[in-house]
Amino acid sequence: MDAVEKANEERQKRWVKDKKVGEGTYAVVYQGREAVREPSAPRDAATGRRVAIKKIKVGQFKDGLDMSAIREVKYLRELKHQNVIELLDVFSSKTNLNLVLEFLDSDLEMIIKDRALVFLPADIKSWVAMTFRGLEFCHRNFILHRDLKPNNLLIASDGQLKIADFGLARDFADPGYKMTCQVITRWYRPPELLFGSRYYGSAVDIWSVGCIFAELMLRIPYLPGESDMDQLKTTFRALGTPTEEEWPGHTKLPDYITVGQFPKPPMRDLFTAASADTINLLSKCLVYEPRKRITAREALSHPYFFALPYPTLPPKLPKCSAQLAAAAAAARPLEEVDGNVEMNSTGPGVKAKNTGLKRKLTSPEDAKRSIARRLDFTKQTPGS
Amino acid sequence: MTSPAAPSEPKISIYQGSTQFRNWRYSAEQLAQTRQTLNEVAIAAIRKTFETDESGSSQGVAFLTADEEVLLVKLYISKITQLCGLFRFPEEVEATAVTYLKRFYLKNTVMDWHPKNVMLTALFLATKTTNNPISLEIYTTHIPKTSPSDVLDLEFLVAQSLNFEFAIWHAHRALWGLWLDIQNLSSYTERLDTEIYDAALNHVRASRLTDVELRFSPSQIALASLSLIQPELASQWMESKLTSPSEVEGLAKTVEVIKSIVVSQGLPPSVESVREVDRRLRLCKNPEKVPGTKAFLARKMDDDRLAAEKRSKKVADIQRTENGDPFGNELGQKRGLVDYDDDDDDD
Repeated sequence: MDAVEKANEERQKRWVKDKKVGEGTYAVVYQGREAVREPSAPRDAATGRRVAIKKIKVGQFKDGLDMSAIREVKYLRELKHQNVIELLDVFSSKTNLNLVLEFLDSDLEMIIKDRALVFLPADIKSWVAMTFRGLEFCHRNFILHRDLKPNNLLIASDGQLKIADFGLARDFADPGYKMTCQVITRWYRPPELLFGSRYYGSAVDIWSVGCIFAELMLRIPYLPGESDMDQLKTTFRALGTPTEEEWPGHTKLPDYITVGQFPKPPMRDLFTAASADTINLLSKCLVYEPRKRITAREALSHPYFFALPYPTLPPKLPKCSAQLAAAAAAARPLEEVDGNVEMNSTGPGVKAKNTGLKRKLTSPEDAKRSIARRLDFTKQTPGS
Repeated sequence: MTSPAAPSEPKISIYQGSTQFRNWRYSAEQLAQTRQTLNEVAIAAIRKTFETDESGSSQGVAFLTADEEVLLVKLYISKITQLCGLFRFPEEVEATAVTYLKRFYLKNTVMDWHPKNVMLTALFLATKTTNNPISLEIYTTHIPKTSPSDVLDLEFLVAQSLNFEFAIWHAHRALWGLWLDIQNLSSYTERLDTEIYDAALNHVRASRLTDVELRFSPSQIALASLSLIQPELASQWMESKLTSPSEVEGLAKTVEVIKSIVVSQGLPPSVESVREVDRRLRLCKNPEKVPGTKAFLARKMDDDRLAAEKRSKKVADIQRTENGDPFGNELGQKRGLVDYDDDDDDD
């Protein structure tokens, strides 16, 4: 056997798939763990680190390895940061590509939607801080995420927030190099992309963080447009129609369209309980002119993060019921709970069924994108 | 803020955090050693295959040496450049494919996998990893005598050999940064001639035919390339960046090493010199990797037999569980005995 094959086989042996937790057209996700190396270890002690194994079926693509899988592997291989999901290993099995990712209980969307939870301003500050930290690291590495939204911000059992799903990520292009504007889920998509801008930078991700920040306070999506056109209208209704003065040149963008004149209502009207610092940072994320939008680095030194109340320590952040169930399960030996625990929460990039609104990327790229990055959990899969 | 900064890990530069820095840098000795070992292991394995096939048949076979393997790979590096010209791929695609090809042959030997095919796969993979994808069909129709399967069959092997580490830091990017930066040198008040940049870039391109990228950082290679054109400018820049004379001296030494390698080895090999190597390769290729040969079929049959055994074991397992169910499963969903999609028999 070739050395390369041998190395692959060893990798494969390191990880044990316990059960299937989700299945889509192009990928199957398993909950698993690191194989215990020493058989002498007490049986109930180390069952190894819990992981999620995302098995991508590669054989069926006519162009070979799929672009989203390549992007995800390429960037996660390089990024090691507390607030970015960790790719522990990659191996192949026959014609499948297996990504071994750290296991994460829930995501920010589940937490936002859990009506039983009350968020304190300090909790929101903590989540926003962790998002900016992870994003600053991506941008420092010249990587644009291009799909930030609450259900791509996963939450570890210790409360740490992790940016996940790099299937749409790319390196910054040189100025003058065209990029696609069909990225970022609509509700989190900045107006320059809605106007068809093909030259953009890290500011697109900042807009998304602004929308998420607002959503954390409102507990409902801030700018839920029903179509791309309606998205512009919704945005302008909330933030006022941009003027030539505040956003020079925007009327010259390829897909520029007028959707009506809306006045700029004071943000305070909607975010009644927010402090002045909060409103200040939020509005800096939602500046129309992309070049004037705050950067992740600048945001980290914004007074908001240094003012009272200080951010909640991650372990003390509110946890949704799924997380609590998972934590309880983790406290017992794995064998006992197998098949017993209701798995409505799983690993990275792959989450349990959400009954509420589906946030989907409804753009031409959606059809082209060939790996299921959001798996369908609506049908119960028989245990594998 | 949310938690005290972890004091355990010291700060490192972005480049030092890259897989390129961590996993793909070698000393000259390590490179030679790696290639020598690969070569020896491959020869031993192929000899054994020959002998199993027909006793005594490995006698008199002139296997390739490690140096000859490198020479052959080098020829195909120059072919990548030609193909990229044909497709008008951006420089990043070309540079990435070249790196992939070199890294591939630090894990494999040309006697197992001919660089002609690996080169095509490495280039196709590079178009995707650098976000310049083209359809496989267009790709293969523009390359003579190439079918989609020639490219796809090796894609997994190539990706695996690269350890799925697709991100590459390139010297030509470092040169561009250096070029922008030297214009800030206080001693240069006039505009620098862009011919300097173009000439330095040509040295960066020549460096791709050598091992320097496996030994040095992109910025060191860029600096050496500039130094080949304007040594004065290069040393002024070094002095402006480094404070201690010993640091300057150390870097200058590295730069000289790179310069001499690029000048002496940065030329494509003559087709003549490679022809003889390629002719011998036809005789000493690993027959297990050549479709149609006895050894290839034998190995394939072996693999198929193992897979079939696994499958029938799975069927047996499923039957056993189903028979064991006292309530039967007639009312349940009818499932095939074997779920072929669920090929989770990776153990």
